[in-house]
Amino acid sequence: MKNEALFARQICRVLDHGTRDIDPSIAERLRAGRERALQHRAVAVESLEIVGAGGTAAWGGGHDSRSHPIRTLFAILALLLGVSFAYYWNGFDQASENEEIDSALLADDLPPNAYLDQGFQAWLEKRSSAGE
Amino acid sequence: MASRSELSDFLASVERRAFKQALFAVRDEDAALDIVQDSMMRLAEKYAGHPTDELPLLFQRILQNAIRDYYRRSRTRMARFVQLSSFESADDDTGDPLEAIEIDEELSPFATPHAALLQAETLELVEEALQNLPARQREAFLLRYWEGLDIAETAAAMNCSEGSVKTHCSRATHTLATALAAKGIRP
Repeated sequence: MKNEALFARQICRVLDHGTRDIDPSIAERLRAGRERALQHRAVAVESLEIVGAGGTAAWGGGHDSRSHPIRTLFAILALLLGVSFAYYWNGFDQASENEEIDSALLADDLPPNAYLDQGFQAWLEKRSSAGE
Repeated sequence: MASRSELSDFLASVERRAFKQALFAVRDEDAALDIVQDSMMRLAEKYAGHPTDELPLLFQRILQNAIRDYYRRSRTRMARFVQLSSFESADDDTGDPLEAIEIDEELSPFATPHAALLQAETLELVEEALQNLPARQREAFLLRYWEGLDIAETAAAMNCSEGSVKTHCSRATHTLATALAAKGIRP
């Protein structure tokens, strides 16, 4: 095992020598590739910072990672509150719509029972088709 | 998070070895350069937020996956082609070629044309022997010994067990020693 490691080290020394004498054109292409990769890093880091800044601003700043569960809890509570409010508002809207229909029916010259009479419905249809 | 200069230094320190690793595996300079470039891009893009000490293992995982992807894409692997006649035997020389490399590192001003030739030949033979290793043995050997990853890290980079890493490394070293001994190079 010891001899194996020693031999491997000798081989690696030879290989290191080979990397130093690498063709200049290849060294240049590797350098160019590295530069391109670093430009990609800049874009990736910028995106991370934007996401980070957005999260921080939404919760009023602070960088303590321990507050993360509390933030999650607040987010869930806010979501539940939002859903409840939407449900309540929707119900309120529906009630006011029904109220308007009731008022219109009651204020009409026709009694509400007339709309339930099938003969009256047939008479209305006949009259509207005759009018056309 | 690794800063731009830390990432730059890291990539500069590994890019040549990464190129050689890819070249040993795919035997095509352009393809090897593409693999290294893609690996560097992926590291910079996806792992920019990781600490510097995680970069070596992450980069090796990306590089090894990129090499394997190349194999999958190309489907047909290049046939092994060894021009034995192009190598002169080192038997005529009394010195140890592996030692000659070492001497040159320390005393390069005293290098002779003969030593330089011997080094070039030794390097070629070693690289040739590495290229001829089975892919997994070469991968294990280079990650463990050239990249300096420990057994657990090598196993993680290769997506195999630690026992397999030990077996691959042992077989690779034995095969290399035999192949190089046949060319007059002994440890």
